[in-house]
Amino acid sequence: MQQDLKNIVVTGLAAISAAGVGVEPLVAAVRTGNSCLSAVPETVAGGERQKWGRAEQFRAADFMPPLKARKFDRCSLFAVVAAGQALASAGLAKGALPPERIGITIGAGFCGIANSEEFLSGYFRMGVDGLSPMLFPNTVANAAASNASIEHGLQGPNVTAVQRFCSAESALQLACRFLEEGRADVMVTGGVDELTPRMLQGFRALRQDRNLAAGFGEGCGMLVLENREHAESRGATILGEVTTINSIGRLVAGRETEAVRLLLPASAPARIGLSGTADLWPALEAALPDVARLNLTPITGRSLAMGGLAMAALVATLESGDTALHLAASPEGPYYAIAFHGGAPA
Amino acid sequence: MREQVVITGLGIFCGAAGDLSAFRRAILEGRSGVGPLDLFDVSPFPARIGVQVRDFDPVARFGRRDAAKLSRADQFGLIAAGEALENSGISGAYDPYALGVAVGAGAAGMFQGEQWLKAVLQERSASPDLLRGILPDRTATVIAEAHGLAGYQGTVTTACSSSSTAIGWGADLVATGKLDAVVCGGSDSLSILTFAGFNSLRVVDPQPCAPFSLGRQGITLGEGAAFMVLERESAARRRGATIHGRILGYAIGGEAHHMTAPDPTGEVAARIMAEALTSSGAGREDVGWVNAHGTGTPLNDVVESTAMKLVFGERAKDVPLVSTKPVTGHCLGAAGSIEAVATVLALGAGTIPRTLHFRGRDPECDLDYCHDGSRQTAATVAISNSFAFGGNITSLVLGV
Repeated sequence: MQQDLKNIVVTGLAAISAAGVGVEPLVAAVRTGNSCLSAVPETVAGGERQKWGRAEQFRAADFMPPLKARKFDRCSLFAVVAAGQALASAGLAKGALPPERIGITIGAGFCGIANSEEFLSGYFRMGVDGLSPMLFPNTVANAAASNASIEHGLQGPNVTAVQRFCSAESALQLACRFLEEGRADVMVTGGVDELTPRMLQGFRALRQDRNLAAGFGEGCGMLVLENREHAESRGATILGEVTTINSIGRLVAGRETEAVRLLLPASAPARIGLSGTADLWPALEAALPDVARLNLTPITGRSLAMGGLAMAALVATLESGDTALHLAASPEGPYYAIAFHGGAPA
Repeated sequence: MREQVVITGLGIFCGAAGDLSAFRRAILEGRSGVGPLDLFDVSPFPARIGVQVRDFDPVARFGRRDAAKLSRADQFGLIAAGEALENSGISGAYDPYALGVAVGAGAAGMFQGEQWLKAVLQERSASPDLLRGILPDRTATVIAEAHGLAGYQGTVTTACSSSSTAIGWGADLVATGKLDAVVCGGSDSLSILTFAGFNSLRVVDPQPCAPFSLGRQGITLGEGAAFMVLERESAARRRGATIHGRILGYAIGGEAHHMTAPDPTGEVAARIMAEALTSSGAGREDVGWVNAHGTGTPLNDVVESTAMKLVFGERAKDVPLVSTKPVTGHCLGAAGSIEAVATVLALGAGTIPRTLHFRGRDPECDLDYCHDGSRQTAATVAISNSFAFGGNITSLVLGV
């Protein structure tokens, strides 16, 4: 599936990751290449030597009163704060635009699972007396996007996408389409994910702790997208442009080479960014053998919606005029190739 | 000009009906599927009813090995999507890389996932297979795998509006030529999480839900899946496909008001309905009825009635606002697609469905809800509304 875009530009970025809160610490980690993963505490790891990419430096109290923070789950906290930082970075104060013209699409990984676990644990331990109604609303996967929309007054298109390791890319694809169609003037998009001890226990049960879930991460990467004309009319700084989105749902047996051809552009980009399990797909490595690559997985961790962070890091480190290709994959599909131009080339 | 998107296949598997023909009868004849629940222990709760899929043996359907790896929602989704694809006769008509699947999901595999959690908390062993479908995206993956849909695999999770959005998005992928055909819809299953959750919020009616009626107390939960196959009209006609209906347009938005309570003004809901109509090219006068989100909660039904007045003005009383949830229960992530299928079937039959379980006239719900029975109509256009936690709203405009 190929989507050539015209004039969809990036005007804002935000990041919360194991590298810290903000785009700057993420870029610094990318430039040094140093891993921000830390050892999983012994009490959580259950005797296994594991690393994870927890966003340890994130403190909700730095951004909102504790009483307010209590009503959010961790994914929602990430999304609320990151959406605010992304909008601020785009120069969009609350009320600057009609609320119905700003939307949000977020790729969510394990969002809602932590609250579901806590809500159900109360019930399984104490019956109906253990039920906490306050926890239930944030058991839905869309809590992060919806809480961000409520906090920042975003009444435009509002969609949460979950699709394996390509959840953030699925969300960005929706955001670009909504801008193309004129359903919104500005879209906040990206991915958000969290990591809990119970999730690690689940990964161990599924024997993924030494496989794809080894060095899992959490955090939130956001991009603010808008049509170039809209961005220019309000004097926004253009950080980059999304030029094409190619995707396929899954590989057809015997036609894998064709899938790579459907995904990749005719000319090789200057750089590629990798997310999900794209770093484990040999066909992609073979197709782009000499291209510089940015792989966040060893730096901040892998997860289902870490594509938001990977795309934010890619755009933040793009020189004006450079081309870059963000590649994301999942073992059972889907696959995405999203092309960016750095800066504001006309 | 964008090509019209037509519906060439329909499939459904839910508590109210096990296939399309049974569902058609249930909707047109107003047969409620509400009954006692025994999927899990509901005795601690004041409401003990729902619309449960019964007499369902996943091992007989899928075999022991596959059944164990599929969540209940995955199983429902595979059955309904399979019926829709068979109904469409699409097999072999398009290249696999031009076919996609768009799913709206909700609690997904939580029914199995919570069994794993309970066992872990009680320090019992539990099969890891119980976790395989815990995420809502797995239904799309297994449908894509089972049917060789290689062009697109996507899942929308906006709670109770998920599958309406998946249908709107799927229609857009076809209309713009990105894909030749999309299987889109939704699947969801009952779970302790949602049953206990809605009970904890005190929005589950102990009696069968009674949308827009006096004395209503809330929802009745249900489960199931519904899917439709969408294609461009020219291609569908070329291959001689039966056309069941059309996706004329859709709109989505967020209220940005509250996680669980609807904006009492109904203004955003009205805007979304109006935008959906604009996107469809249909006029307000073309709309025969609106399939309501119509949950039966005291607040939802008043707000939806208010939104109707904002959209249709003085004509609002002439446009029935009908809820099919007393038939199907509130199927959460699958609700939008189940109701879209119900609306397409009703349009095809020239029948506006009845809103069941009338308990008395609520002065705050003062429109026409077809409480007194179904009725014949010559209308060829209807709207289907879906509202959700987080203020997510989707309106679909459907036609025949």
